[in-house]
Amino acid sequence: MITLKNLCVEHGDFYLSDVSLQVCNGEIYFLLNRQNSGNDLLFNVLSGFRAPAAGEIFYDECLQGSAERPMPAALINKVPEAADFETESRIGDWIDFLCRCGALRRENVLQTLMVLNFNETNLQKKVRDLPPEIFRQVYLALCLAGNAPNLVINDFIKGTEKRLEMKFNKLLGQKKAAGQAILYLGNDIIYAAEIADRVGFIKNGHLLFEAEAVDIKDMDIKDLYYKFLS
Amino acid sequence: MLAFLRFERRRIFGEKKNLIFLAFISLLSAYFVWSGLNEYRQFQAEKKIFIKFEKEKISQIVNYAQYGVFGFRLLYEVSPLNQFFVNSSVLQDVESNIDSLEAIKMESSFKGKKLFLKRGYFKDFAGIIFIFGSLFMLYLGHLALVSPAYLRIISGCMSLKKYYGLTTAARLFWLDLFFLALGLGLFFQAQFEGVGFSGTEKMIYLFFLLFLVVLLNFFYLLGQLTSVLVGFRNIFFLWFFIVWFICIFLLPEMNRISVFNQSLVLESAEKVNLEKFRTLMALEKKFRDYLKVNPATPMGQIRQMQKKFAVQFINSSYLVNSGLETKYLRDVEGVISGHERQSVLFPTTFYQFLTGEASGKGYYGYLDFMDYIMKLRNRFMQFYLKKRYESNDATVESFVHHDENIFRARSRLPKTFWLGLLATGFYSVAFFAMAYWPLRRLVYLS
Repeated sequence: MITLKNLCVEHGDFYLSDVSLQVCNGEIYFLLNRQNSGNDLLFNVLSGFRAPAAGEIFYDECLQGSAERPMPAALINKVPEAADFETESRIGDWIDFLCRCGALRRENVLQTLMVLNFNETNLQKKVRDLPPEIFRQVYLALCLAGNAPNLVINDFIKGTEKRLEMKFNKLLGQKKAAGQAILYLGNDIIYAAEIADRVGFIKNGHLLFEAEAVDIKDMDIKDLYYKFLS
Repeated sequence: MLAFLRFERRRIFGEKKNLIFLAFISLLSAYFVWSGLNEYRQFQAEKKIFIKFEKEKISQIVNYAQYGVFGFRLLYEVSPLNQFFVNSSVLQDVESNIDSLEAIKMESSFKGKKLFLKRGYFKDFAGIIFIFGSLFMLYLGHLALVSPAYLRIISGCMSLKKYYGLTTAARLFWLDLFFLALGLGLFFQAQFEGVGFSGTEKMIYLFFLLFLVVLLNFFYLLGQLTSVLVGFRNIFFLWFFIVWFICIFLLPEMNRISVFNQSLVLESAEKVNLEKFRTLMALEKKFRDYLKVNPATPMGQIRQMQKKFAVQFINSSYLVNSGLETKYLRDVEGVISGHERQSVLFPTTFYQFLTGEASGKGYYGYLDFMDYIMKLRNRFMQFYLKKRYESNDATVESFVHHDENIFRARSRLPKTFWLGLLATGFYSVAFFAMAYWPLRRLVYLS
């Protein structure tokens, strides 16, 4: 379960004021916010990389602690540019290393990669030589390997191919069925209606509106978009 | 830690361009050690000719007066370790001539083969590692942490502090192991080729390798710090070059200029020679004046007078001149000590001082050589005057027994070795700590 209590975040133009919400186990909550930088900032706060201005974040009723300690939640960020991964290591070595050091299970990584139809020959390639789409698959598999009870995602599907998006949705469905609490930060209302159980709208730094996804499907999405996201 | 060691081993040695660079460094080092070994063998061959020539020379000398003028040559023999530092030494290939004249000479010959023996420009094992090893370590320090985005992913699995610390330790372990293996491999190769090293020389070489590794770690951590400070941007390569240039060329050169400026307080060597010459000529003048006043002095009496003046010379003027020379040498020693203390302040300046001393042709090697010349010269003067005025000239006996005319320079560590090592270690630790905080900011707050 993920709980935000009176969360206030402020940096540059973006601010969040007094946001409280709860994502239950086995639920996907989609927090819609049109500002990408705001989502990045909120993700950093939820990841523990940045301290909030005020308020508290709980993962399974544990207060989020120091930024140095690994989180009781899997964190899936937008995948950065390939140039940021200009490393000499082979992808197979990289997975082995992270599994050993991060107490991740290699079987879990390989299982996720199988779901994503990952070609095994890619394991011999260097990280920097992988096409962005393949790298995203590896990244996703590593993020999900820990079997953390909570999942925080920052607009992962943005810019991905439809094929990967569908597989990602399938994985989300599996995680949800396994009872994980999933908080998704993004700005795509159509995608939100497609995958989420509940959707929250942020405008002018406040959580203005919360709705069940099934209700959103019945509402006029265009109207919602202009009202909250334009 | 094992996972880090395995991962970093594959990162470093699984990369083709790293392997090419390491192979290049190894081949170049091996080539220059081989070249140093050749020079060492050549020197040994020429030493034999030198000893033979000096023996031959004495048999050709007719009387002791002639022996006093010609004297004998003294050869500076370097330690076998010099083959690793053949171009990092302070002195060139030098020799001295010990005779009855006043000036102490130390010369370097450019005759024949020696004309083509160009010294300098880091063309030895110590120099190659200094130039290319530092460049490589700076570059690998830059590559170590990849990027803030990469570290953000990693920090999802483990703490940044752990990753930063263990990655640095693992990479330094493999790189240090490589350079130690290279250094020891070349040492054993030289031994295999028949060069005998004494126990002290082996120890000195091991301590040199220890400092070398600490110096290379300093460069690695400097590269890592520079990379973090410029935010992993491509502008790093500009800073990379600037930092490298400052460390390798600018600071050692400034240190050299500084010691030269300090040496300006020393009196000119020519002035010292002139003073000694004046002292000698004052005595000569006394003798000439005596002969002018007594032109009809018989030959036997002149000889007696010469002997009297010679004894007087040894007991007064010669002592004054030796005192002048000793004082001058101690002044030079003062400048050298100041230079040594100043070198400790920065790792690359200390490295240059260390390699000079380890080669046996450093500043302290020079002082030892001068001391040896003066001791030998004192004995030679006593021998010469005694023989010239007390014995007949039927056969000229050589002053040189065994191989006294070979000065065996010893490799040594500077007195400040541990201080220099500590200072370099301190810089490295400071760079390691200084890089962490901006890195943390880059990863968490950007």
